Amino acid sequence: MCDQTFLAIVFGPCDKCSNEKPLRAVYIKSEQLSYCSLCVEMMATEGLHENETLASLKNEAESLKGKLEEERAKLHDVELHQVAERVEALGQFVMKTRRTLKGHGNKVLCMDWCKDKRRIVSSSQDGKVIVWDSFTTNKEHAVTMPCTWVMACAYAPSGCAIACGGLDNKCSVYPLTFDKNENMAAKKKSVAMHTNYLSACSFTNSDMQILTASGDGTCALWDVESGQLLQSFHGHGADVLCLDLAPSETGNTFVSGGCDKKAMVWDMRSGQCIQSFETHDSDINSVRYYPSGDAFASGSDDATCRLYDLRADREVAIYSKESIIFGASSVDFSLSGRLLFAGYNDYTINVWDVLKGSRVSILFGHENRVSTLRVSPDGTAFCSGSWDHTLRIWA
Amino acid sequence: MRGENKMKELTSNSTTSISQARKAVEQLKMEAYMDRMKVSKAAADLLAYCDAHIGEDPLIIPVPASENPFREKKLFCTIL
Repeated sequence: MCDQTFLAIVFGPCDKCSNEKPLRAVYIKSEQLSYCSLCVEMMATEGLHENETLASLKNEAESLKGKLEEERAKLHDVELHQVAERVEALGQFVMKTRRTLKGHGNKVLCMDWCKDKRRIVSSSQDGKVIVWDSFTTNKEHAVTMPCTWVMACAYAPSGCAIACGGLDNKCSVYPLTFDKNENMAAKKKSVAMHTNYLSACSFTNSDMQILTASGDGTCALWDVESGQLLQSFHGHGADVLCLDLAPSETGNTFVSGGCDKKAMVWDMRSGQCIQSFETHDSDINSVRYYPSGDAFASGSDDATCRLYDLRADREVAIYSKESIIFGASSVDFSLSGRLLFAGYNDYTINVWDVLKGSRVSILFGHENRVSTLRVSPDGTAFCSGSWDHTLRIWA
Repeated sequence: MRGENKMKELTSNSTTSISQARKAVEQLKMEAYMDRMKVSKAAADLLAYCDAHIGEDPLIIPVPASENPFREKKLFCTIL
């Protein structure tokens, strides 16, 4: 089963050892070669070549960083909001709290929608994970985790299971059952093991694989059935706080944000970082792809949200105001990508016009910081979770 | 993390830091040589996507209250 779900981007004979393996591009003396990951590691640990010292490598790195900035600046011919000037302005918005989900005994830390556009799973500081029917506000399932601060939870695409984790450093999957005699906690399956807290988790396109992000600075891809680690992603210099999978059906990339102020885009098959962006001034708490998959937004403790375009390889918009001084904890796009909803630590939700860069609306209601926010799969509403122990559905 | 950086300073000529520096250079080379698009073109594409889908966005063009299960005034009931 693992072999069928794991494909390599380029598979062929390695230029060094000639073995048939997944390959990565390496540059040696300005020539591009394809090495397998073993040969990459061996090359990196070989003794120094002539003319190469640690200092010269560091200088090369610095000059490459400069070149990177230059290349990016060359294509910066216009700002997004300038291009968007010809777009019609949005009308007035009437968005109110339509449902309040009460039942958690402590801060709500994370939530996720089920693909049926109706059910919601949420997790909180007291270790409780609850599945709600958002139409009726009834609780359908509840499970108590053995740890507190359940910082991550996710609904499986089939709607038949949920995944959650936090201070236990693990990601566990619970199958959902309507059988009153079954104890949900008994069927729990531990899938991921990190060396620090779990900050985010997400199923990939199927129930079979889970992507996790952790305070240990890495992200990892796991096979749910066997609990095996399929791929790990190293590169962040500090805790990884959030991740989001690219929206396409054949999506093989995801973006992660961390305490090192960097947002990194990864290739899921090779484990390589494809692009990285470092323009925030503080921890990145949340990242979310634009619906077309060509861009992503980030929310940070520096009180700004930013939009990064993947093909232009740069930041293209900043959503900020002098009056907003509290960090943004979570962001999500509306269905068309025109609106960006962002929950802040000052208890409010700001609604931004993605293209024009202006704030369209500010929503009040929560009595403590907004910790999580997701738009429903069909875009009819969005749900916010807060440290005030409640979740609110807005439409 | 601070402890780690201190170690890096002390063993500045060790193989781990060389391999890390090499990997960093490889990564930067790959990022510097990638194909990029002009912001004007990328922005135009973002606008085009928005335009194409804004009509279906229930939070911008509201659907009638009877079709939005959250905006309905009455309690949601299903006939079994």
